[in-house]
Amino acid sequence: MTKLLISLILASGLFATQTMAYDFGKVLEDAAKKKIEDVKNGGETPATATVPDKATSPAPESGTSSATTSAATAAPPPAQPEFNWKNPSKEEEIALGREITGSLLGAAPLVKDEALQKYVNQVGRWVANQSERADLPWKFGVIESTDINAFAAPGGYVLITKGLYQKLHSEAQLAGVLGHEIAHVVKKHQLKVLQKQQLLGYGAGKLSGLFGKNDKLAKKALGTGAEISARGLDKDAEFEADRMGMVLATRAGYDAYGLADVLQTIGQTNKSDSSVALLFKTHPAPDERLARLGDSVGGSLDNIKAGKTLENRLYKLN
Amino acid sequence: MKDYLKLLILVGLATPILVFADAGTALKTDTVRAEPFADAKTVGNINKNDSVDILNKKGAWLQIKTKKTSGWVRLLSVKRGAATVSNNAKGVIDVASGRAGTGQVVSTTGIRGLSAEDLKAAKFNEDEMKKMESHTLSASDGQSFASAGGLNTVKLAYLKGAK
Repeated sequence: MTKLLISLILASGLFATQTMAYDFGKVLEDAAKKKIEDVKNGGETPATATVPDKATSPAPESGTSSATTSAATAAPPPAQPEFNWKNPSKEEEIALGREITGSLLGAAPLVKDEALQKYVNQVGRWVANQSERADLPWKFGVIESTDINAFAAPGGYVLITKGLYQKLHSEAQLAGVLGHEIAHVVKKHQLKVLQKQQLLGYGAGKLSGLFGKNDKLAKKALGTGAEISARGLDKDAEFEADRMGMVLATRAGYDAYGLADVLQTIGQTNKSDSSVALLFKTHPAPDERLARLGDSVGGSLDNIKAGKTLENRLYKLN
Repeated sequence: MKDYLKLLILVGLATPILVFADAGTALKTDTVRAEPFADAKTVGNINKNDSVDILNKKGAWLQIKTKKTSGWVRLLSVKRGAATVSNNAKGVIDVASGRAGTGQVVSTTGIRGLSAEDLKAAKFNEDEMKKMESHTLSASDGQSFASAGGLNTVKLAYLKGAK
């Protein structure tokens, strides 16, 4: 009985998501507005905040947008160490990524398989070693979800769903997928979205105290953390991550086409299948990604020695 | 009942599109060559959205056959699968496979998706975070793992974005 009830609740949740697909942009805007209100309700003076659709970065101190102005006139920031949104340190980046990833794990926990988790960390760590941010404490995980998706957060956090993992046929394909996510971290794609949002919407001063005792405000301003992952990046960031991910996996000695293989598989998944709903909402179409990748690659890999696919080493899920 | 019959007929119509496992579609215009090498003789070309039959794969090349020509093209110029199935047929396939109305899938098997709503409602989970952190490996751990698999690094610059 309880099970049925939970199923019903879950079902209605999913239904809501489907309806949302038709006006995702609006939902995001609403969510952003709601978040700003949340922050304001935390003891700030009410203001009419508008979220610009296309965020162009104004000089943060100049306070040109109405949102920034209203933020500046709000209550003074508490006396705590400030989170440096303009130029976060590595530690701040990691703290931010931890917050986001911890929320994602709240939505879907890690698959209870120690050997699996160790394996993805081994592959991921080796691919990340090939990047210019090998110094980060990279962390990888497979989460309990039938959705086909993967997520990255600042500071070196990468999650891949069990649904996507089960579509893989070789270690090279896993390396390609992880390479794409690693590229997002290296290029600070998510971090830049958050920075823009903070500098435009809230004013940099309001997010002080991420490390302080009263970090409630910072947490609130971040939303649930995982929300950023539901929003997606711009298309160019995704194409860039495809190109870089492919190169990182190739540098690591893998077959260069692992990521392309996975994009082929995803491209064959029925577009109306709920397991790819979020992925397709937040990423360009797989065909477009493959074609773009092909344009960029051209003949540049012609003289690269064929890498390894390592089908047999891919950890098999029960 | 009538609808049910209609559905069966539609499924019957839709199925043949899906059985060609080696069907492909050209993603762009590209040269077809006699051999799987960049400097091999040109034997023809493919245009975007051309239907192709994929016969073989060798490294970064696919052996294909079209109505007009046959030979080798670059792997990334062709997508696997036939050209877009019409929306109507897709809907029918969904019904037939029990995918229509995502609620059904959830209620019958208890599997869980990860929607935008789920992410928005998510709460930080410290225990799971600690678990994830416990698996953190060092750069040298990665190196040992690579050596065990016979993986050797390759020098390769990042690719430029296409125009």
